[in-house]
Amino acid sequence: VLDDLLRRFRAGDRLALSRLVSLVARGEQVGAILAGVEGPRQPARVVALTGSGGVGKSTLTGRLIEQARQQGQTVAVLACDPQSPLSGGALLGDRFRMPARPDDGVFIRSLAAAGGRGALAEHLGPLIRLLEAFGFGVVLLETVGAGQGDTAVRDLVDVLVLLLQPETGDDLQWEKAGLLEVADVIVIHKADLPGAERVEAQVLAMLALSAGAAPPVLRVSARTGAGLAELWDAIAARPLRRGGPGTARDLLRLAQEELADRFAAAEAGRQTEVQALLGRWQRGEVPPARAGGELLRLLRD
Amino acid sequence: MTTPPLRIVLAKVGLDGHDRGVKVVARALRDAGFHVIYAGLWQTPDAVVRTVADEDVDWLGLSLLSGAHMTLVPRVLDLLREAGLGHVGVLVGGIVPETDVPKLLDLGVARVFGPGTPLDDIVAFLRQPREVSRA
Repeated sequence: VLDDLLRRFRAGDRLALSRLVSLVARGEQVGAILAGVEGPRQPARVVALTGSGGVGKSTLTGRLIEQARQQGQTVAVLACDPQSPLSGGALLGDRFRMPARPDDGVFIRSLAAAGGRGALAEHLGPLIRLLEAFGFGVVLLETVGAGQGDTAVRDLVDVLVLLLQPETGDDLQWEKAGLLEVADVIVIHKADLPGAERVEAQVLAMLALSAGAAPPVLRVSARTGAGLAELWDAIAARPLRRGGPGTARDLLRLAQEELADRFAAAEAGRQTEVQALLGRWQRGEVPPARAGGELLRLLRD
Repeated sequence: MTTPPLRIVLAKVGLDGHDRGVKVVARALRDAGFHVIYAGLWQTPDAVVRTVADEDVDWLGLSLLSGAHMTLVPRVLDLLREAGLGHVGVLVGGIVPETDVPKLLDLGVARVFGPGTPLDDIVAFLRQPREVSRA
């Protein structure tokens, strides 16, 4: 079945893409899928939008889709929303703020982000590579609504866009310090509302305190359209960060993904030694200080 | 292995601006562990089918309070089949006269839920195992 899906994917079949996205999002057969689809091609520009809930990430994502389409680029969107820690259910309501007209150049997938994993769904790295392999020129990633220090997303993308809005000024410097540091572009969103200039001034003042080149700060309103073209230009002007030589952190992240996959496979495949360790762990017979190391030894090649 | 959560698209098709009911259903399904993609109001049949394709869902729930169900639902069903999405189960909710219910079921709708349906009935129905053969 997988071979058939991969063949259809390579022929540009959208339903095959959709099925493969589901498999990768669940962490199933990720290695085989990526090996089956990847080849040399134009790298996509991967852009993440982050910021607290209600700041307008979905709406702005929708407007950026339009900007990219006007420039003749195809767009894939991964929209993350939180998953209930109690039921595992999720209400994924991002795409209804995006253009509804069917367009072959636009693919939108809603993903649930489990609690405790930060602002992102799992397996986003492989998902981005899958969409890139299908040939999308732009991949837009919408986070759950990031908070303080939720900066893991930066490692996955070329351009991290942070959205702020008026009347968040007072706690700005405390809550957003971590995000301001890693943002590549800062958007003062809802700039048609009063107070936008003040937030902008506060951000600029904070950026002036930090060393190094400051990211561009733009006032944008998805409602009026003001600043959208400038935002798209700023995004397009950033150099592609992915694909270059990786950092030590990239290497660690790849190893972590590999480890999670191996553990899932061992658990699903009822590998006896792992099962035995799991049983002892659940009965409280293995001290935490030793358990992790034992698992690592069992999951070695 | 645990089974992955069922995914469902909920949408309002056509000129029908009343979304309270569908939002109550969305919330109930979320609380029951479903992944619910809410596609929103005033959707065209084409747009709904594209959403179903891109979201790779098990179910599509259409909410209609406008009286246009005998026009819009068959159109959505046709487009689903044309798109190779005949395996997706379709539910209809809202105001549907009793005489139209068997017609919709004949066309391929899995179930019609009217006003006053206990939310648990919808959850239980969706959780029943189905035979699915994908295109």
